[in-house]
Amino acid sequence: MDTSSAGIQEPFDLIRLSLNERVFVKLRGDRELTGVLHAYDGHMNLIMSAVEETIMVVEPVEGAPHSQGSVNYVKRKMEMLFVRGDGVILVSPPSRT
Amino acid sequence: MLIFSVFKTLTDQTVIVELKNDLLITGVLKSVDQFLNIRLDNIQISDEVRHPHMIAVKNCFIRGSVVRYVQIPADAVDTQLLEDATRRGSRFCYKRCPKFPD
Amino acid sequence: MSSLQGYVDRERLMETLYVILSPVLYIDRVLVILQDGRVIVGTLAGYDQKSNVVLSDSKERVYSTDEPVEEIPLGLYLVKGDQIVLIGEIDSEKDASTDLSDVRAEPLPAIRY
Repeated sequence: MDTSSAGIQEPFDLIRLSLNERVFVKLRGDRELTGVLHAYDGHMNLIMSAVEETIMVVEPVEGAPHSQGSVNYVKRKMEMLFVRGDGVILVSPPSRT
Repeated sequence: MLIFSVFKTLTDQTVIVELKNDLLITGVLKSVDQFLNIRLDNIQISDEVRHPHMIAVKNCFIRGSVVRYVQIPADAVDTQLLEDATRRGSRFCYKRCPKFPD
Repeated sequence: MSSLQGYVDRERLMETLYVILSPVLYIDRVLVILQDGRVIVGTLAGYDQKSNVVLSDSKERVYSTDEPVEEIPLGLYLVKGDQIVLIGEIDSEKDASTDLSDVRAEPLPAIRY
């Protein structure tokens, strides 16, 4: 098999093909990022630019159980960001929508 | 190793380190090691009213494993170079790794 | 056993000397933040490659929103490296000029992976 082709043989190939593309990253702690991927390594440490972070915060509602609290999204922008790999749950290539 | 090299090129730059306890520390990157432990000089905690715990601390050593993000100045990195190094890095790894022969 | 006792006494003497001499010798005080949010200040008496540290004359600083900061003496402490979040060098002048009894703050949150 020709492994030097641009085909996808293993999961990390998918990330390699996403370099210099806008990716979606899901993180621990109800956090999500979108940004342009510039570097990664085997720990899934990432370096991204033009990053927008979304944090999901559950506000408890008076008298309601925790699971029925209202959900707020807090957004934040960062121009260049290193993301430590141990917090990464998934990296998704640019959406084709 | 690639990320370690990148951080080495960022010494003397001002960065914002965000920890997994939601503490944000701004400071000048003085050194980094292979575990991505970080030494910061001239530090400033954002929201010092809420977190006055480190008011008398001027420089610190941060354990790599407790870092969530490091915000770096965008003009301090060459993104093209980074992408090339990342592509090379992964191929290089496959070549040397006996599990992935060419 | 008497030879062992000698070590204990010397240890205690060294510790006492450290406490007395550290301000004079400008031995740096450090502030250590632990994974569970605890804050410990002490004199860095030693460390190793794994960032295990030995603190002498150490005190825990307990923060609370409705009470002044409480300092609990801990003495000689060994902190395991993997429990450490951060080690900071304390500016002794700035630390001395801060009146801890005026400080009210929430305890630092614990690290959550």
